[in-house]
Order: sequence, then C-alpha cells, then structure tokens
Amino acid sequence: MDNNQSNHTQVLNINRVSKKYFLQKQKTFKEFLPSLVLGGTWAKDFWALKSINISLNKGDSLAVVGKNGAGKSTLLKLIAGVTSPTVGKIMVKGRVAPLIELGAGFHPELTGKENIYLNGSILGMKRGEIDKKYHEIVEFSELREFIDQPIKHYSSGMYMRLAFSVAIAEMPEILLIDEIFAVGDADFQKKCLDKLKEFQKNKVCMIIVSHSLEQIKNFCNLGMVLRKGEQVFFGEINQAIETYKKLLD
Amino acid sequence: MFKDIVVFLRYKDLLINLTEREIKARYKQSILGYFWVILNPFLQMLVMTFIFSIVMKVPSLGVPYPIFLYVALLPWNFFSNSLSSSMNSLVANSSLITKIYFPREILVYSTVFAKVIDLILAVSILVIFMIIYRIPVSTRILWVPVIFIIQLIFTTGLSLILSTFNLFYRDIQYLVSLMLMLWMYLTPVIYPVEIIPNEYRFILSLNPMAVFVNAYRQVILGGGDPNLNSLIIGVIVSLFVFLAGFSIFKKLEGIFSDVV
Repeated sequence: MDNNQSNHTQVLNINRVSKKYFLQKQKTFKEFLPSLVLGGTWAKDFWALKSINISLNKGDSLAVVGKNGAGKSTLLKLIAGVTSPTVGKIMVKGRVAPLIELGAGFHPELTGKENIYLNGSILGMKRGEIDKKYHEIVEFSELREFIDQPIKHYSSGMYMRLAFSVAIAEMPEILLIDEIFAVGDADFQKKCLDKLKEFQKNKVCMIIVSHSLEQIKNFCNLGMVLRKGEQVFFGEINQAIETYKKLLD
Repeated sequence: MFKDIVVFLRYKDLLINLTEREIKARYKQSILGYFWVILNPFLQMLVMTFIFSIVMKVPSLGVPYPIFLYVALLPWNFFSNSLSSSMNSLVANSSLITKIYFPREILVYSTVFAKVIDLILAVSILVIFMIIYRIPVSTRILWVPVIFIIQLIFTTGLSLILSTFNLFYRDIQYLVSLMLMLWMYLTPVIYPVEIIPNEYRFILSLNPMAVFVNAYRQVILGGGDPNLNSLIIGVIVSLFVFLAGFSIFKKLEGIFSDVV
C-alpha cells in the first residue's frame, strides 16, 4: 500500500476512489412483478463520486465545496468508514472523529451522563478514557446542573452542546465537520471555533464541508471543488474558492 | 476474520454500553420497570398452564406442569425475543449506521446480550417454583450453561442473518414473526416430545431448538444425561449458522449505510 510519496506525516490517502449507488426503482410488489415479467430494470446506477484523489498530512485543513448533490457528504462518509468505496482505496491513519449530525447516538430516555458514556464509546473511546475526560466534557458543555436529567428534557441547543463536547473530548487524528458551525448561541460557537483552532495547532487534520466561503477561507489551507461527483480542483484554498466561484457563475 | 476480532475487542466497551442502553431505556417511564421481564413470562405461564394442562390435559411426565413448561418456555422466549429485537436492531439504529463507523455486529450482539440478562432474571421465578415444589436437582444441572452457550451461538448467528436481510427487505420481520409462531409449535415447549409418534420424531432432531429444549428438560428435571448425538448435531448446526451469519453480515456491512 505504501508508495514513495507517502511519508510519516500523511494521515489520509484517497486513491482513485469512486462510489456507485443503486437507486431502486420498483419499491412495491405490485410494481415488482410486472418488471420481472417484462424484464424492466430493477435498479439504476448512480455514480456519486468519480475517481477522487486526495492526500492530506498532519495539520492540513481541507475545505470541500460544491453544489448540493456534488458528493460532499458521500466523501465524508467514505472517510468515516461508514460506507465502502466501489472502486479504489482509502488509507486512514489514526482515529477519525465525525462531527456529522451531532448526537446521532443519543438516547432521549437516558441521562446526560449516561449519554456521554454511550456516545463516547460509539466514537471509539474506552470507558477509562471517558472517565478521565468526563469532567472536562461536562465543563465544556456548561450543563453540570442538568447532567443527571434524561436528555429528552433538554432544549435543542443543550443537546447540541452536549454532543459537541463529547465529540471533541479527545483529540482525533482526523476530524470531519459537516456544516456544524451553528452550535448553540454565539458564545458557545466561539468556544467551539477556539477548540477547533486549538486542534489545528496540535496538527489535527480537518475536513470541512461548508457553504460559508468566508469561514473556510480563514480556517483552511486546502480546498477541493466537486461537481456532480467529479473532482474539479484540489489544492490551495484561495484558488479553490476562485474555481468554485467561476463554477457558480 | 482475525482483523475483525481485533477491531471488535477495541469496541468492547461499546458493546457493554449499548447493552446497558438497551436494558435501561426499555422500561423507562413505566411503574413496574424492569420487573416486567419477570412478570411477563410468569403471566404467560399462568395462562398456558390453564389452557394446556387444566383444559387440554397435556401430560408433563410426572413434573408439575408449570415447572415442566417454564424450563422450556424461558429458553424459547430468549430465542424468540432475541430474534425479534435484533432483527430490527440495524434498522432502528440507522441514524448511527449512516453517520459513524463501528463494527455493526455490536448492535446485534448488544440486543442479544440484553436478552441474556432478561433470561437470567426470569430464571429467578423458576428457581422459586422448584423450591416450592421440592424438585430434586442433580449435578447434571451443570450441563445447563453448556447447552445455553450452544443455544446462544445459534441464536446470535441467526440474528446476524435476519438483521442483515431485514435491512434490505423489511418483509423479513413480518415473515419471521409468523415463522416464530409456527416454530414454537414444532418445538416441544408446551408438550413433551414423548407424545409425538416415533416415526415423526426425526423432524425434531432437525430442529436445533427442539434439541436444546429437550436437553434442558433432561438435565434440569432429572430425566438423565442429554442425548449426546443430538447435542453434537446441535453444536455443528449452531457453529455453521454463526459462521455463515457472520460472513454474510461482514460481507454486506460496507453497504448497510447505502440501503438503510
């Protein structure tokens, strides 16, 4: 797998990766039977990503831009290991923490504390590691008084705060961020951004999907432009934004 | 397979936490709470004893019918509840499956493990009954954990298969609940094997659940050692089902998030 270009600082290597989805056409039995007899097509192919190449080192922050349906979320899913590529290889070094749709693993009936442990272990943390980080998580979320309440009584802001605090409790090698700059109120948002900047200083590799060009310009050093699953550009962030703007016109 | 085991071990805390979630969350907002896992089979037993023992006079080989029934009903319930819950475990956790990577079989295992805890608690009533009715117990009772482990392997393997198929085609869950009902009648839970005519008994040896249920009755109610031949077939079938289930599951795991 190792080639000459890869070195010890490389954390992510995506090599000619494509992803095909099957769009099921017939859903019900009533539709299925005639298609079986008449020989209609059962499913339609759809290439969500075509021949993507990315190589990222420690400390890189990559912004992925593209219109809706360009394949941004599919790319994050592939890196997170949630779905496997149809063609090509993805090499990931270290722990990948997805900040995609925060709190996916929360259970409304359990308390904040129970959910911290549950979500931590979903993110691949060991019990002992969560024990160590527990107070830090609660502190960051500012939810100490509510931590023994079932989270179904939380407001959506509190819910997001707790989820974010668990997700960033431990420094991962790669952090995936999907439009989540809108967590809680302005104060908390600033706290999150500070935390992400701290990660950046500590050489965490970040991959950010965002429509806010201003934000990514300040935050990222690399950019990637996707159009209908194809990689239009990969490189320096300002050039990426230029390319994307041209694409929009 | 070896790599799968290494990854799985890294996530063993997740297995514990998900099992806990399964147990804790289930009876929240109910007054009797977890007591239901004991009460449920108990009430089931009362009704079944009335119908099958008092009304229909099913023989129970000299053992009080409630105990005769319970010894088979509890492991059957474990099997049936495990399948019905784990079948939906992937679908119910689709929000997790589409967002975060972890070995997906943990979702199935945690559901089955939660049912193991249920079973252990439900057994308490059986123990009380056996004390009240003064049923003698021999050292053969040490067979119980052995039989249970075989049953656990069989149950988990089948759960892996069904949960995968149900993810692709939800028809499976309806089919399975029907199948489970028929399967229970083909397993000597409410009646003793002995009332089946000899020439039809071979059907039961093809049914691993019948083998397990029989073996439990043999060793707990003092009927002698379990039928080793049947048990060995049970082991082979169980291992086969588990390995088949595991490889089907792992093979399709990569596209779970695409179809869910």
